[in-house]
Amino acid sequence: MRRFMRAIRPFLGCLSRASLYIAGIGMVAMTLIVGWQVFARYVLNDSPSWSEPLSLHLMAWFIMLGAAVGVRESVHLGLDVVRHVMKPSVQLAMDLTSLGLIAVFGLAMAYYGALLSAGTWTASIPVLGWPGGVDFFPLIVGGAMIALFAAERFIDQLLGVELAADVAVQEMA
Amino acid sequence: MAYTILFGVFTLLMFIGMPIAFCLGIASFATVLYLGLPPVVVFQQLNSGMNVFAMMAIPFFIFAGDLMVRGGIANRLIRFAAGLVGHLRGGLGQVNIVASTLFGGISGSAVADASAVGGLMIPQMAKRGYDRDYAVNVTVNAAIIALMIPPSHNMILYSIAAGGNVSVADLFTAGIIPGLLLALALMVTAYVVARRRGYPAEPFPGFSKVFYYLLASFPGIVLIGIIFGGVRSGVFTATESSCIAVLYAFLVAMLVYRELDWAGFVEAVMGAVRTTAMVLLVIGMAAAFGWLMAFLQVQALMISAIGAISENPIIVLLVINIILLILGTFMDMAPMVIICTPVLLPVVKAFGIDPVHFGVVMILNAGIGLNTPPVGTVLFVGCAVGGITIREAMRTIWPFFGASIAVLMAVTYIPALSLWLPSVFK
Repeated sequence: MRRFMRAIRPFLGCLSRASLYIAGIGMVAMTLIVGWQVFARYVLNDSPSWSEPLSLHLMAWFIMLGAAVGVRESVHLGLDVVRHVMKPSVQLAMDLTSLGLIAVFGLAMAYYGALLSAGTWTASIPVLGWPGGVDFFPLIVGGAMIALFAAERFIDQLLGVELAADVAVQEMA
Repeated sequence: MAYTILFGVFTLLMFIGMPIAFCLGIASFATVLYLGLPPVVVFQQLNSGMNVFAMMAIPFFIFAGDLMVRGGIANRLIRFAAGLVGHLRGGLGQVNIVASTLFGGISGSAVADASAVGGLMIPQMAKRGYDRDYAVNVTVNAAIIALMIPPSHNMILYSIAAGGNVSVADLFTAGIIPGLLLALALMVTAYVVARRRGYPAEPFPGFSKVFYYLLASFPGIVLIGIIFGGVRSGVFTATESSCIAVLYAFLVAMLVYRELDWAGFVEAVMGAVRTTAMVLLVIGMAAAFGWLMAFLQVQALMISAIGAISENPIIVLLVINIILLILGTFMDMAPMVIICTPVLLPVVKAFGIDPVHFGVVMILNAGIGLNTPPVGTVLFVGCAVGGITIREAMRTIWPFFGASIAVLMAVTYIPALSLWLPSVFK
């Protein structure tokens, strides 16, 4: 198992870094689109109708990819006061429960996202003209990645390997 | 039973250290399964919860704030503040507070404020003989002002959590007087403590120098006008103004001050992704959680529960303030605002309290929570910058807490402090 984890680590690292960069590019694109919206309204006197739905779609990608990276890097936004005062064995049990549930929930996001996507495929997104199901793509991809990264950290914890977060920080540096 | 599952699972998961976004999602999922509703509804709500244009302002304002710090806009505002009030007794403490107020006008992040203003001021204060605990305490308490002075992405968070029915322009306007009042209260406190400890005053640099500092910081001050004026007059929405703040900060930092390079820009982008994606996911998940709360009529239950304590709005607000202050000791600000607003807003409305007024109370209250351990994000940042322990800071923080709580009480019980200014603009 250790060998397997070592073998796939570079792939997971790349995936996480790529997601972070795509999310970043998404945010810059959102800035430009909304900036263009204001410019077009006041300078060109012609409000674009596509800017809002497109930037909203980009934001969904931004959230899901950024949050998946957050799961890998252990960006908490949670409460770890109770965890800190526990014995290491209890801490491990808490972490495994938390990561296991996140992995299952990530899978559920991907699965139900796919159902919603299939169910709304024939509808069309106003203005953009894309199939309605496209709206749920970020949920499907993000959910799958959340499940993947949570599973990575779950196995790491189980094997007592350094946290993926530390690895990610080294990769960044 | 469904209530127990919804809140029980949420609380249990929160205590085992799971990120709040997933606590909300999994608790909702478990409740939906228990109720026999189609599970897909959770993800439908999550998806539409992430589809709110106003949310975009949150990453934009965080991004803009970071660009302003890296690009030298924040530094020049601090230098201007130093010229203005540095010559008062304990002058650097006063500078710290005025700088936080000015910084609050361009960024709404207390954490960014504590690291930007604190990063510059705390070492300077230590060099001039100020005790580090004083420097840290002034910094972290003054950082809260940034939450109140527009633009404040936390006010936007409140507006979204309130179902988008509370005007962001009104919230922005309503925060100004309470923010300035907090600045004044902290300045008086800092002055009294500084006198008692015998801290020095800085020499006055002269009017021409102060004028020069004002000119140098002018692009930052103009931005305050653009953001507030734009949103207030309806020229642009809050999201558009946050986007303009990003573009403006980028142009000033790159072309005027020339202090931002591409590496700094990329770091600012990544920082904004890391900081805000999780917060936005919390908002999305809270949509599913909120939908279930409405389905289970939790709000009606809360109204009768708090109504059973008292029918008097003064007591109701006191009870709510105490609940929020306690929650604030162990919850981060964004999740607290997102989770508590849909629960408490119907309660306060039922007692005739204005949602804009309550928004200001909630933000100030949650802001104080950023400085209360065990979870006090701003206090932690301040202590890290100042190189002291939380315990050292806590020993002497009380006068500043006293000032903040006094302002909280004034803002709670004198609605005009929040509501007068928005009424002027109507």
